[in-house]
Amino acid sequence: MANYLSILVFAFVGGSGRYLIGQVLPATTGFPWATVIVNLLGCLALAWLSHAKRVTAHWPSAVTVGLGIGGIGAFTTFSTFSVDAVRLITQQQWGVVSAYLTVTLVGGVFCSAFGVWSARKWSTFRVVEK
Amino acid sequence: MMAGLAGVGAAIGALGRYGSSQFVTKLTGTYWPLATLLINWLGSLLLGLLTGWHAEYTLTVVLGTGVLGGFTTYSTFSHEFVMLVDQRRWGAAMSYLLLSVVGGLGLAGLGFYLGITYGG
Repeated sequence: MANYLSILVFAFVGGSGRYLIGQVLPATTGFPWATVIVNLLGCLALAWLSHAKRVTAHWPSAVTVGLGIGGIGAFTTFSTFSVDAVRLITQQQWGVVSAYLTVTLVGGVFCSAFGVWSARKWSTFRVVEK
Repeated sequence: MMAGLAGVGAAIGALGRYGSSQFVTKLTGTYWPLATLLINWLGSLLLGLLTGWHAEYTLTVVLGTGVLGGFTTYSTFSHEFVMLVDQRRWGAAMSYLLLSVVGGLGLAGLGFYLGITYGG
């Protein structure tokens, strides 16, 4: 029950935040910067959160679940990524759509990998060697 | 005001993702990230439909930006892909990536086409 409530609250914040970033950087023409920014930031944050056990060990599990699945999960979006790409294809903006797919996919993998790496390096429990 | 509506939609969408993800994972296990794939496929199809249909602005914000945006997730997709690579499961990683992107774009395109053809 605590998980459900926590997901509701964090997802409200994540979804509102994504809407507001979309208002600042509208994607009706050209390169969808807003979607790129929320997705890359979210990739970094979720990957770090999932592995930063030394940090999250002190948190109630509802906070970790709510922040990861609710907050960051709702902040990032796959459906808008797909529809942005389709819109650019229907507008025959081949250069923009190629750049968008490349930046999102390669950048997303890089951000996730960096999140995992940095959490493992600095924010996880050390294996004590005797 | 609109940001709040998007937030309410996203809360519903995220809860739907949590519930359906637990349901699919209970059936199929966690060996291959099927739950996220199905969620992102369904969300892409429905958002394509909504976009092609040219729904009214408030409805687009609540259902599109809110519910479907909160239901689908890019961060989990990318993290799951990186973890499959981390485990050296190349086949699973490549099939997950290709099915997500090609399927997601294809379904968004199909939804967009259906929305334009039969909607509005």
